[in-house]
Amino acid sequence: MKISKHWMWLLGAAGLSACGAGGNDPGVEYAPNMYHSIPYEPLSQITDKSAGAWVNSTDTEGLGEYYSSNPNNPHGMNMREPVAGTVRRNKGYLPYRIPADSLEYAGQVLVNPLDSTMQDEILADGKELYLTFCEHCHGGKGAGDGLVAEKYPGVANLTTPTYANHTEGKIFHVITHGKGNMQPHGSQISQGDRWKIARYVRESILGEPTN
Amino acid sequence: MYIRQKLSLTLFALFFTGIFFSSSVFGQATLEEVSAASGIPTDQALIDEGKGLFSANCYSCHRIHSDWTGPGLANVWERWESQETLYEWIKNNGAVLASGDAYANELYEAWNGSVMTNFAWLEDNQVTALLAYIQDETVKGPEEVVADGGGGDGTSSESGVPSQYINLILIGLLVVLALILGVLVLIVTVLRRYIIAKKEDLDEEDQEIVNERVDLPAGLRSPQFLFIVVFIFAAVVAKSAIDGLYSIGVQQGYQPKQPIAFSHALHAGQYEIECQYCHTGVMESKSANIPSANICMNCHINVATGSPEIAKIYKAIDWDPDTQTYGENQQPIEWVRVHNLPDLSYFNHAQHVNVGGQECQTCHGPIETMEVVYQHSQLTMGWCINCHRETEINTDNAYYDKLVKLHESDDPMVVEDIGGLECSKCHY
Repeated sequence: MKISKHWMWLLGAAGLSACGAGGNDPGVEYAPNMYHSIPYEPLSQITDKSAGAWVNSTDTEGLGEYYSSNPNNPHGMNMREPVAGTVRRNKGYLPYRIPADSLEYAGQVLVNPLDSTMQDEILADGKELYLTFCEHCHGGKGAGDGLVAEKYPGVANLTTPTYANHTEGKIFHVITHGKGNMQPHGSQISQGDRWKIARYVRESILGEPTN
Repeated sequence: MYIRQKLSLTLFALFFTGIFFSSSVFGQATLEEVSAASGIPTDQALIDEGKGLFSANCYSCHRIHSDWTGPGLANVWERWESQETLYEWIKNNGAVLASGDAYANELYEAWNGSVMTNFAWLEDNQVTALLAYIQDETVKGPEEVVADGGGGDGTSSESGVPSQYINLILIGLLVVLALILGVLVLIVTVLRRYIIAKKEDLDEEDQEIVNERVDLPAGLRSPQFLFIVVFIFAAVVAKSAIDGLYSIGVQQGYQPKQPIAFSHALHAGQYEIECQYCHTGVMESKSANIPSANICMNCHINVATGSPEIAKIYKAIDWDPDTQTYGENQQPIEWVRVHNLPDLSYFNHAQHVNVGGQECQTCHGPIETMEVVYQHSQLTMGWCINCHRETEINTDNAYYDKLVKLHESDDPMVVEDIGGLECSKCHY
């Protein structure tokens, strides 16, 4: 008994030092009731219905405090796709509906809706967006020499005469739907940003048009 | 005698093997011979011009000695019926296809109807230069393939010793030292016994030295020694206990195993893909977002298609790499969330990255070197507040003009000055 009295505080101290996080262990939480979101948190999901039942303070119909999964969504996820037919509020752009296989048509009919009096800002934004979304394949100057191009087959060298006559509409269509080995990037880049990239590529990357 | 015979026999065999191999090298056609048959010129200036044209226009889809997006081009001039059709094909393949050329249509079928880019702007002499370069490379033969260790150069294999081995090495050294100590004690004991047994005529001083004993137990029992030991032990325990208390509710260092072994060191480090390419929400939303699998497929439809980790992506989105089609049975990839800010505080990525102009690394640390992501920062309130006290506002914006005028201080305007320490900014 005497020994245990002396060593209890040591054991307690040793136990405390194991509270930190590391590896798969997130560590010990303080006041966990305030840590876990009651509303559905889109990027979290805890499907175990009894998770955190030990901190329940009110009756929650048998569901643990940490349980966070929406049974009405596919796979119980807390996020879901927008309802079919709805249009995102995005500065007035309507959904782009020209089909993927109509590249030439898109090149002929599409006109860049950006305000040309803001050319400097558009080109500055376009360059930044190009460096974010295009540079790792097409290279900083568009020569198809980005770091990823070594691994990825068929990256276009945009500076050759082959692409000199491409219109901004055609560039916009290719970014949206892809072409050849290039995959569609419409889901990643908003329409406004795509038009900025198209303007930058047309003005600063492609060669002089020959017709 | 026998050995000498055997040696000379071996040498003889080696000699003949050498002749055999060298003759096989001489058996290959030289550039001149190939050129005589193909009619494609061989002068170096033309080959160099062709090399430039090839790397700018053809290299993205064609290799010489292997198929890539398009067929390998070695001996391409032998595959076409006439040089004229080949020239026409390189410049305007659509026209050749339309003319009903048998080989052209055969190629079109074999490559699943993928169409080559139109190069109508190429001059005839440029096409000749291209063919001269291709001929030169064909004769040279494929380059030795350099073994790729998967990780590439330098980034994955850090120089120096990994940390987990340092501990092992230290323990090993300690064991070796203990062994040496044991051996030394053994030697001393043996020597002492030897002296006591053999030398009876030692004088008193020497006897004293030989018979001297260190009284260890008495030294260990002294109160001073006991105090020092207990003090050091208690201090170490108290320190780890306090550290432990401070780590409650702090997930710094949390590094969960993810369902797919995605490496930021490879993607963001070695290949320098921008964070925003995948984390598309960071400029306009609260969350930076976990990329959906279609963003993985932007590259992995063609890159590392045989990897078991990539196979997990294919399985999740039900992609069949053989038929190149998606199925119906798609499953979400259950990534483990690393950064869990408590629900009692609000954080918005767009506000910090888009408006505040902060780098991802400011909070997430050296993410471009992480094989497995861990939580780099504390994400405690004190840590947030510190940054809000120190970070200057980018006032290059008309909204701040009057605020800057009202900010009557020599110190720069920091986040604190525009309300960055208000409770309700983050807690509501």
